[in-house]
Formats: sequence, structure tokens, C-alpha cells
Amino acid sequence: MKKYLAIFLVLTMFVALLPTAAFADGIRLFNGKIEIAEPLNHAAKAYEEATGKHVEVESLGGGVDLQATLKQYYQAGNMPEIFVFEGAPDLANWTGMVVDMSDQAWAADTDAGFVDESGALVGFPYTTEAIGLAYNKSILEKAGVDPKSITGPESMKAAFEAIDAKKDELGITAVIGYCANATELYWSTGQHLFGQYLDAGLERDDTTYFDLLMQGKLDQERFTKFAEMVDLFNHYSDPALLVSGNYDMQVSGFAAGKYAFVTQGSWIGSSLTNQYKDQYAAAGNFECGYVPYAFIEGIDTILTNAPSHWAVYKDGNVAEAEEFLNWLAGPDGQQIMVQEAGCVSPFKSCTVVANDPFAAPVSEFAAAGKTSAWHWMGQPSNLAQDFTGAIFQDFAMGTEDVQSFVEAMTDIIADNIK
Amino acid sequence: MNENTSNRKTLSMTLLGVGTILLIAALYMDFSKNYIRLGSFELRGAFLVLGALCVLAGIYFIPTILHHRAIINCIFLFPLLFTFAVTVIIPMFVGFFYSFTDWNGVTFTKMVGFENYAAMFKEPAFIWSLLLTVLFVIVNMILVNLVAFLLALLCTTKLKGVGFFRAAYFLPNLIGGIVLGYIWQFIFSNVLTKILNSPHSALATTKTAFIAIIVVYVWQYAGYIMLIYINGLATVPKDVLEAAQIDGASDIATLFKIKIPMIAATFTICTFLTLTSAFKQFDVNLALTNGGGTVRGFMGKRLSNGTQMIALNIYNTAFARDQYGYAQAKAILFFIILACVSLLQVRISNKREVEM
Repeated sequence: MKKYLAIFLVLTMFVALLPTAAFADGIRLFNGKIEIAEPLNHAAKAYEEATGKHVEVESLGGGVDLQATLKQYYQAGNMPEIFVFEGAPDLANWTGMVVDMSDQAWAADTDAGFVDESGALVGFPYTTEAIGLAYNKSILEKAGVDPKSITGPESMKAAFEAIDAKKDELGITAVIGYCANATELYWSTGQHLFGQYLDAGLERDDTTYFDLLMQGKLDQERFTKFAEMVDLFNHYSDPALLVSGNYDMQVSGFAAGKYAFVTQGSWIGSSLTNQYKDQYAAAGNFECGYVPYAFIEGIDTILTNAPSHWAVYKDGNVAEAEEFLNWLAGPDGQQIMVQEAGCVSPFKSCTVVANDPFAAPVSEFAAAGKTSAWHWMGQPSNLAQDFTGAIFQDFAMGTEDVQSFVEAMTDIIADNIK
Repeated sequence: MNENTSNRKTLSMTLLGVGTILLIAALYMDFSKNYIRLGSFELRGAFLVLGALCVLAGIYFIPTILHHRAIINCIFLFPLLFTFAVTVIIPMFVGFFYSFTDWNGVTFTKMVGFENYAAMFKEPAFIWSLLLTVLFVIVNMILVNLVAFLLALLCTTKLKGVGFFRAAYFLPNLIGGIVLGYIWQFIFSNVLTKILNSPHSALATTKTAFIAIIVVYVWQYAGYIMLIYINGLATVPKDVLEAAQIDGASDIATLFKIKIPMIAATFTICTFLTLTSAFKQFDVNLALTNGGGTVRGFMGKRLSNGTQMIALNIYNTAFARDQYGYAQAKAILFFIILACVSLLQVRISNKREVEM
């Protein structure tokens, strides 16, 4: 019997040693914007101090495939309560698994929330971003170019020529920092710039060109005008940046005052004041502004939207997740989100303004109602990476001209969208 | 033994019974999500492990002399077989199953039969990736082995500082493919464009980008294969070499008539290694070009995945396009191709080997 006793003891020891699943209290937030990881952690801490409820913030980004990571979590039964998604293609993965939040207090305070096909409010907007043609105000002033004068293709060309003529005098490398590197910046060309063709100058709910795109078609006249503008960028961009450059080169170049214009949106504001603050200071902490991508005379809007939304997972701790989001949308939460994370608040009741070079110009366009939406977010998620980005690069390299660029884009879209 | 038999039988049956109940309870908790807890401890895992141990002990105590040894063998093999099944066999079958569905990584709505398999042969981008990979494998198998063997010969001579050269040639292999890809991307995009004064990086056009991947891959992999060749060359018996020297054989003759035939086994290993690893090329491909490059008029289509190898193609199908089921079908095809090529290659090479 001794032997059996020994075995029994060994077995009980095993049981005592067994690791058990951790039951952390509170909720988990899966954030896809690594730039605001620190402020978010701070917000979570402030929330815990105020309410005693714990929020775990998990921040990923910088090339990590967020949806693939989420799918792994789902397979492992480890879904976070709140998770990020970009537009309808991402959300399609989670049909029937997210909570309708239209009954929440914040819902009435914003119109930037994400509404799905069935009309349910499933996305919490945590920031607003803008895409326009950003400019360096001090260079434009020195060159004697009034940004307000850029209202169409001719005036844009005239402005570029005027600046180009004084390039040495102004000490700049090129008129515009435009980069069409398909490996690194397909999202900038194939999504953000292409998004101008889809939305620039339109009402926020106007989906004319997006609907056409989803049928596999391009409006030839509008797209040709757009192509002519891109051609202008190709011509006046820094050759070292145009095809072989990368995002860092582009943004640091703009921060250092090497380019009068740059084809990046409002998110570079926090890079200017943090990552590249030395270059930015050396260039005189210049003011920034936006002109619309006016490839047709009269286009006067920039594109603003929540770049991604947060959804609440149905089978998680829904009540606490919703409570946290409500707190975040309130004054205490927005204080941190705006001042520390540099987010432009999507909530109407928010009075805090960020200390960001692009915050003021964006608010200006928003206040004047001169904004259009980001319908490019609904295009198939691989379109830019696998197809259109490469054609922008070919165009930049000069292997395509305006006409063959339009043809190539028309063909590839017809082939790949059904 | 007689007296013990009935005892052992009761014990064995009890253990088997308890174990099975515990296992079923654990599985039930897992599926129904009704976890039983002891304080803050969740008992599901404990039930599972304890149940498994009880079952194993029950099997061990089964009163038989005839099969006792076989049972013990099986119990000892169990951990390995179990791990192998969980990590290789079961996922393979699950993957095989998924290749017949429209799985998107979360859920699937229907079985699609052989649709996925049919679709890939109608997709020009995939055919291009497949052909490109074959080309890449052939070029690399030759180049890597050639470079590696020459380096090995160099590093087995009585040169000064041979140890340093060995380490230096091997070093690139220690750097991960992703890091290496970014380092070379910088070299191609920033350094070479300045030196050659060319407007665009070599990575911007399909042909030059493909050559760039080959260069980086050979640079990375030749050092590793070189080590295996050095090892092989060291096993060539000294007496044979000495005999050849006394007979007045030239260095070239010694190399071709003695060294190379003597290390045929090493050649088999090295061609096999380069073959399979070149087929599975992924990380450098991802970091260096991410598959980019324009191809005009392939199967009547314009492609943008000029340098995309098959592994990257599968990855993108799953993760960028959310077509997990379709990607799985491609992966199965890839697996079959790889298995066939490897078997064939080993068969052919084995015939050439010299018995020592």
C-alpha cells in the first residue's frame, strides 16, 4: 500500500502545482495606434484611480497585422473587451460579435462613430485625422505664395513653379515631399492620395466615385485630372525621395524645412513635435496648414475621418467596457486624449484643443464645413498593397505617363474588383 | 501474482474510471464554458491533467504479464506521440479540412469543395509566384552551393587568419532575415543609388529586385553551407590525400577525383538544405521588396507582385486578403510540391554516394 500512497501523494502534488488561468479583473483594450500607447496607459491609470476598475491597454502597431493578431486571440479564446478595426472590410470578420452602442451617452455627442450596414453603431471614434496637402507656412510666405490662392490645377501649378524658381534662395530641396515607394508607402499613395480621387470636394455622404470603384470602374475624366496632379507631384518632388525614399525620410525632411509641401496627413503633427523636434526647432518651429488637393478647379475640402474605431466584443465584459468608453469620451478622458495623445477630438462637447501644428488648420476646415469623408477605407483591404501602390510607383519612375497611368489603373481595378 | 491480480484489477478499473470521468468533466467545462472553481482557482486544467495521469496509471496497472512490456513502451512513447500529434498531425488535418471551406480566420459559412484548388490555377499572380519560386530555387541551389564550396576550399587551405574568414563568412547567417532585409534595403536604396548615381533603387524594377533578392540570399546562406562543406572536407582521410600526393596528382585532380567523390554525402545534404530553404524563402522577401514589382502582360494581366515568392503569396492571401481557406489550399499544394521535390532529390543524390 505504501507504493499507492506514494503515487497518490505525487498526484496531489501535481494538482497543487498546476497553473490556473489568471482571472485578472477588469477589461482589456487592444489599441492599434502605437503612437498613443503612453497616453492611453495614463488614461487607464487615471480611470482606475477614479473608479477603482482596471483597464489593461495592449498597444500594437508599426507593421503588425492587427486583424491577424486578433484572429489568433479569438482562436485562443483570449479576445480583448475592446478592439480596433479599420473600416468595413475589417469589421466583416466580426459580424455578429460586436455590440451595438447606439444607446450610449457618447453616441449623441459625435457623428464620427462607425455605423454598420444594419444601422448599428459599432465603432467608438477615439480620434480624428485629416488628409490634405500640408504646407510649411514660413516657406510659402517667403516665396510670396498665398495658400488661399491654390484653388485648382492651374493655381497649384503656378504656386509650385513660383516656389521652384526660388528653391536655392529659400534653401529647400524640393517643392514637395511626395514618395511613391510601393513597398513602404503604398498606403500613402494607394489609399490616402487615391482617396482624394474618391472624395475630394464631395459631401461627406456622397459615394458616387466609391460606388463606381466597387463596380470595378474609374471615372475617366475625374481620374485623368487627378493623374495630372500626381504627375505634377512626380515632377516637383525630391528625386531621392520619390521612389527610393521612406516615411521617415519624408516626414523628417518636411520637419527640417526641406520641402514646402508634403503629402501626409495630420498624424505627422505629433512626429514634428516629438520625434523630429530638433529638426523642427532648427527650421524655426514653422506653422503648418492645409490646402485641398484641388485637382479640379473649385475643390475646397480636406478629408477628415476617424482613422479606425474601437468595437466592444459581445462575449466579454460589455458593461465595464462601455463604462470605460463613456469615461474616455467625457471631459477627463478627452483632456488626456487631446493634450497628451494629440488627438483631434471627435466629440462636439470637447473644448480642449491640442498643442499640435495641425490641430488649428484641421479645426478651421471642420468649422467651415469643408470636409469630406474617407471612403477609401471601404476599398478591398489589399487593393493598395497588392495592386495600385505599385502603379503609383511606376508612374513616379517615369515608366508610365499620365495616359498609360490612367489606363493601367483602370485595368487593374477592373481586374481585381468584382 | 495471483493474490495481487484481483487487487490490481480493482485499482486499474478505478483509476481508469476516475480518469475518464475527470477528462470528460474537463472537456465538458471547456465546451460549455461552465468552469468549476475552487476559490479563484479554475479546476478545468487540473481535471484534465489529473484525468490523463489517472488513465495512464490505470493502463499501467492492467493485470497482464503478456502485454505488460508493450504497455510500458507505449506509456513512454506517449509524451512524444502526443506532442507530435498536437503540433503536427492534427493541425495538418485541420488545415486540410479548412482548405475546402471559405474560412476567413474567424468563421466559415460554407464548404466550397475543390473551388479553392481550382481558383488558384486561374489566378495569374499565383502562377507567377510559383514559376518565380522555381526559378529562384534553381538559381540559388547552384549559386549557394558553388559559392559555399569555393569558400570552404578557401577556408581549408593553410592561409593565415582562416579562423577569422570562417567566422566572417558565417556571420551573415546569424542575422535574422528581416533585419538583413532592411539592412540591404538601405544599401540598395541609399548607398548603391549614390555610388552608381542612378535615379532609382534596384528594388524598384522587377528584374533588378529579383537579382537583389538572390544576392542577399546567397550572401546570407553561403556561409552556413560553407561550414557543412568544411566539415565534409575534414572527413576526407589524410592517408588517401597523402597517397595521391605521392602518386603526383595535381591539386585539381585531387579535388575532382578524390575530394568531391568522397564528400558526395555532404553534397546531398547541402543541395537538400538549399533546395528546401530556397523554396520556403520568406523573410528576406518580405523585408526587402515585400513582393513588389510590376509585370506587364503575364497571362494577359498586369501584375504588381513581380518578386513575390510562393510563401509570401500564401501569407498575403491569408493576412492581407482575409482568404484563409484559399491560402490554406495554396499551402497544401505547396506542401505537396515540396514533399515530392525533396523525395526525388534525395533519391537521386543517394545513388551517387560513395561508401567509406
